[in-house]
Parts: sequence; C-alpha cells; structure tokens
Amino acid sequence: MNLVTKIATALGATTLLISLSSNAHEASEHMKDAQSPDCAAMAEMDHEKMDMNDPVMAAMMKQCMASDAHGEVATTGDAHQEHAHEAASTDSDAEHNHEAAAPVAAAVVEEVHQH
Amino acid sequence: MRTGIFIALAFVATGVFIFSGLYPMGADTPHFRVTTWALEILRERSIARASSEIKAPTDLDSADRLLSGGADYNDMCAGCHLSPGVESSDLSMGLYPAPPNLTNHAHVELDSSVTLARSFWIIKHGVKMSGMPAWGRGHDDERIWNMVAFLERLPDLNPVQYQILTARAPMQSEETH
Ligand code: HEC
Repeated sequence: MNLVTKIATALGATTLLISLSSNAHEASEHMKDAQSPDCAAMAEMDHEKMDMNDPVMAAMMKQCMASDAHGEVATTGDAHQEHAHEAASTDSDAEHNHEAAAPVAAAVVEEVHQH
Repeated sequence: MRTGIFIALAFVATGVFIFSGLYPMGADTPHFRVTTWALEILRERSIARASSEIKAPTDLDSADRLLSGGADYNDMCAGCHLSPGVESSDLSMGLYPAPPNLTNHAHVELDSSVTLARSFWIIKHGVKMSGMPAWGRGHDDERIWNMVAFLERLPDLNPVQYQILTARAPMQSEETH
C-alpha cells in the first residue's frame, strides 16, 4: 500500500464510523432512553382551562391514555379498569409505575367531559 | 493600469492574511459587527431564496404531529435550543453563533407561512459554519414538518406540558422488551 491509499483508507474508515454512529435514526431507536409521560402532573393542572380542541391538550390526553392502556388500548372495558386500579395500589413497583397514572388520566378525562 | 495593480495587491494581502495565522479562529472571539451584519444578510437572503417555493402542509395543527415532533425535538434539538424551564446548556453557551432559544417567541419577524418554510428549510439543510446540522439526511419531510409543527407551539408550553408531549409513548417502548 502506498501512502495515498493508506491515508484514503484511514479517512474512509473514519467517515464510515462517524456516519454509522450518527445515522438516520428511526423513532424506535430512541426507545432505550424512553421516558414515561408524567401524567400525574396533569391532575394538578387547572381543568377549567383545558380546551379539548387545542391540539396540545389533545396530544397530552393521547399520551396519557396510551400509558394508561399499557398496550391493551382503552377498549378492553371492565377488565382493563380493574387492572388500572390494581396498578395504582402498587405504585412503588418502579418498573410499572407509569400505570399509576392511569386513574389520574381517566379522572381528568371524566372531568373534561363534564364541561 | 492603476486598478489592475490595486486588485493584484488586494489579492496578495488577502493571501498573506489567510496564511499568516493571524485570524482569531476561536468561537469565543466574536466577529466584528460589520462581519456579523454581512453574514446575517448572506444567511437570510440565501434561505429566503432557497425556501421561497416551499409550501407548508395545511394540517400542521394536529396532536399526532405534535407528539412526533415533540419527541424528536427533545431527543435531537433541546440540547442546543433548550426547553421550558431550562435557561442554558453547555452547547447553548458555547456555540458561536449561539443557537437561538426556541422556547421564546419568534426571533425573526416574518409572516407565518414564510416562517414555516424558513424553519423547514433550516431544519432540513442546516446552516454552514454554525453547528446547526442538516437533519434532512436522516429524516423524511413529514418528520421535519412535525418538528416545525412542534416549534410553532413550543413557546406556549410550560415544563409539565413539555414533559408529557415529548416523552416517547411508553406503550411503544414496552414492545422492545
Ligand atoms: C449542535 C447544536 C444544534 C442542534 C443539535 C440543533 N441546532 Fe438548530 N441551530 C443551531 C445554531 C447554532 C443555529 C443558529 C444558526 C445561525 O445563527 O446561523 C440554529 C438555528 C436553528 C433554527 C433557526 C432559528 C431562527 O429563528 O433563526 C431552527 C428553526 C433550528 N435551528 C431548529 C433545530 C431543530 C428542529 C433541531 C433538532 C432537530 C436543531 N435545530 C438542532 C444549533 C443546533
């Protein structure tokens, strides 16, 4: 190998490494640092001011209903409700603690609907 | 004849300056005001021209776009452009030009369709010699519009709203277990 080829190879390898590590990332690749939405904090918000036509509000609801459903989506009815309440009483369980937010999200939804 | 000599001298002087090493390259030595002025006009004129044909989608104001754009913003942009309740970061303090704090209201006064096209173009193509990356290399236009949609609402968000909107949905993360 002559010097030019060596330099070219080194540059090529470095470029490849850099481009691989900073490559296009799918949303799913970020999951390792996934963070649960802090839905409990929603309960402390001023519900009078919640406007369901506001996309920000709608997006927050969507986030909190998603964490509530825990993969089962909110269509499983009674069984799902029980599941949520059970989770609320064991909220010390760190791995599943986002489930504890479920009743809160449900309560918020109920209240918003009353307005 | 005279002008010829003058131009030749200007070239030589420029060359000598470039090779002399006298230019202060550090990001902590600001430009002269006139240089900043010229660079900003250069940037704005270039972006205005390049983005003049871009049309924003009409449905930017949607919950799904906010959720996609919010999660991406938190992962990829907040380190430089900050988030509600975060006043500065190493990157926001150290970069020159400084990344604007995107949680504040409009930095550039333009009418809204122009602002949307400008933001889209900047996110997609980046800005040379500034630290602002071109995100179009790894993200399709839809995803970039979602970030634009999020930026439109970012100045209105409080830290709680920001946290909820930008968290990656836990439902999806469960699937990766
Ligand atoms: C490494 C730091 C850095 C990161 C990460 C970064 N930016 Fe930037 N961005 C900058 C800098 C610096 C500027 C200012 C460029 C200039 O003044 O010429 C800028 C400018 C912008 C602007 C123009 C703002 C204005 O009103 O003039 C927008 C919009 C923007 N960035 C969006 C984003 C988005 C969206 C992301 C994430 C996908 C992002 N940036 C990530 C550094 C960064």
